Amino acid sequence: MEQLTNIGSQIDWIVLVIYMITMLLFGTYFAKYNNDTNDFFFGGRRFTWWIIAMSIVATGISSHSFVKYSAMGFKYGFSSSMSYINDWFFVPFFMFGWLPIIVYSKIRSIPEYFERRFSPSARFLVTILQLLYLVGYVGIGFLTMGKAILPLMPESFTILGFEIHVTLMGLIWVTAVITGVYITFGGQTAVIFTDLVQGVMLLLAGFLVFGLGVAYVGGWGSFWDLLPMSWKMPLANFNSPAEFNSVGVFWEDAIAGSVGFLFMNMGLIMRFMAAKNVHEGRKAAAINILFMLPVSAIVVGGGGWVAKAMLVQNPSLLPATVQADQIFVVISRILAGPGVFGFIIAAIAAALMSTVATLLNATAAIWVNDVDRPIRIWLKKTKKEEPVDEKRAMLIARIATVAFTILGVLAVYAFASYPTIYQAHAFFHATLTPPLMIAIFFGIFWKKFTPAGLITTVIGGISLMLLGHKFPLELIAPIAHGTPYEAAHPFTYMSALYNLIVCSAVAVIPTLMQNQLKKLVKGIKNLSSGQSIMIFMIVFSTVVVMIDILVSIFDFNILPLNILMTVTLIMAAFVSIITSFYVKYDAESQTTGLTIWSIHKAKEWFKGRKLNEREGEKIIVNWKEADDDKDELSFSKNDIKKMSAEVGDLVYISDTRKWMGGLKSCHSVIGEPHEEEGIVYMRKKHITNGLFVKFKPLEAEKEM
Amino acid sequence: MNFFNTWLPFIYLYVGGGIFFLAGMILIRKAKSIDMRLKQDQFWWKALIFGFFYFALIHAFLIFAALYL
Repeated sequence: MEQLTNIGSQIDWIVLVIYMITMLLFGTYFAKYNNDTNDFFFGGRRFTWWIIAMSIVATGISSHSFVKYSAMGFKYGFSSSMSYINDWFFVPFFMFGWLPIIVYSKIRSIPEYFERRFSPSARFLVTILQLLYLVGYVGIGFLTMGKAILPLMPESFTILGFEIHVTLMGLIWVTAVITGVYITFGGQTAVIFTDLVQGVMLLLAGFLVFGLGVAYVGGWGSFWDLLPMSWKMPLANFNSPAEFNSVGVFWEDAIAGSVGFLFMNMGLIMRFMAAKNVHEGRKAAAINILFMLPVSAIVVGGGGWVAKAMLVQNPSLLPATVQADQIFVVISRILAGPGVFGFIIAAIAAALMSTVATLLNATAAIWVNDVDRPIRIWLKKTKKEEPVDEKRAMLIARIATVAFTILGVLAVYAFASYPTIYQAHAFFHATLTPPLMIAIFFGIFWKKFTPAGLITTVIGGISLMLLGHKFPLELIAPIAHGTPYEAAHPFTYMSALYNLIVCSAVAVIPTLMQNQLKKLVKGIKNLSSGQSIMIFMIVFSTVVVMIDILVSIFDFNILPLNILMTVTLIMAAFVSIITSFYVKYDAESQTTGLTIWSIHKAKEWFKGRKLNEREGEKIIVNWKEADDDKDELSFSKNDIKKMSAEVGDLVYISDTRKWMGGLKSCHSVIGEPHEEEGIVYMRKKHITNGLFVKFKPLEAEKEM
Repeated sequence: MNFFNTWLPFIYLYVGGGIFFLAGMILIRKAKSIDMRLKQDQFWWKALIFGFFYFALIHAFLIFAALYL
């Protein structure tokens, strides 16, 4: 298809380049706040809700949002906002399930949770899925960026006598280098603070395009009247067309996507882990979903809505070569003057950098915690109980960031065949989310869920998903709610429902049958040929998984569906037997504090002693330095009383300037009291970590 | 415009999603993950219920506006 080129002016380019350089410098400035991996990945767990909420906006409104929702807004109207207004259903699970568990269990990554809750093998499988999920997300981000900037570029340009042709992949590589540099040096604090700026830029740019568009067609009344009634509907047609329907979006986005976003997106989880406590994390989540997401729906879809109204008013307005994914950029060029257009494109660049930076930081965290350290323990280069070598871990984190930036660019090729970014993203969610979603969900909320259930979910579930991909008419169509079959990309959305069903089934059955499994495994262990039986099962399972991959991904027509389904189900049963045979699992110790049923216990572990849940007040104090190196803060007796605190309680202390959002703050423990009211004695490490300024008062509050 | 374009997607979204939401609310109460003795948690309980109806009302209003305004 013919490509639009060179639609920007020189001023636009100057604005874009200045913006990119400013963000680069801004991000790297925050490198000074990275003392260790805790700062690099979690920003020191210190920020207040509004910083977290605003930075989530920039991550949530990623670059693909502007492109894909404007495309869908142009084609289908207000229903492009569906994905932004359907996330509330899982908020109770998140606020009072997953969020307190990840904070109080002090895990540093999602795979680490799986090792503690299940087994090292579970951690290994989840690490692979998590890395695939994150790298795929990075790939979509880069693809969008390329598609958005390409129309601005000339077909080719000459430097030092060499003619360079501008290609989509070439552009993506350049963007990747810029993004990689700033996250590699800046870390999580850089991500959070640049997101704050970028979040504002994004909202401004989106509203600017929408406002200019409404004014262009003659005001709100004209805009409303120009749009056909079907374009004004907030939800798409129930089950058609194949590329966009509400039942499909419900299963793919409201269910799989929402859980993916809240529970599996390590980048987002790390934002919540950077909040000063669970309560602030809940506030950030609530404000984000209740207010920021609906606003964001207008920001990202508005370009497409006004484009539709403008086209109804003037059918010859847009060039015939415009593709849906280019609508936002093209309409912005028509509406905005030189320079302003550059600002809008800079906002898209901001969106990409925010999203990709978050995801790259998360992949680095997973690599350091779930690949590098376990391998070093396995190779006996370090011991489990030894503290992390921070200098080495930081180096590995930065190398991993560079490596995953490159892998993210390579992942672009997997999504390039989809007609729109929206469909590419839907395919990605529907395919990668269900096994992890079921694993996390059952892990948190179902105490009886066993390693056998989990590993069967991942291996058996993915194999059954592969069969669904190969035989959509036989397996997905019966539950597709009448959505049309499209041969090139069959049931992009409804495959999410099929995938959820098969993953749930293979999770539930082994868990409910764990007593029978135990008896069977005991019987096999007593047989002299027990090991041979297990080897047979492992070989059989490996062969079946390989066959499912060959059939589904490489399109080999080796066996008919009924035989494939039978052997895959037998393989799933074998996987649960193999897991029960080899994995040691103590249900009592491996669920305490790690499921929703024992959150109180998790809190006690977090604190290290009995909880004090009396509600106290916040106090203002001045600080003095104590000359010992205890990890505690010493308040006066009266101040401790005001906080309803006791010696040993956890305390959070921060600069009183609220606009700093907790940047200058730290956590510690209340030590033995003194008599000087309004004074807190702190140690050098608190002053350094908290970045406290001399003579600036501080606010202290008891945490628990 | 027919039922498939207007109210069926709305009903499916809030009945289907409502089942998951209700399950979550029951679960957090049953597991005592939300402690109704604490003022903070009482606030969150109300906020969660508010959120569900807030989004349902936004969608209902928008459908009504598209059809009749």
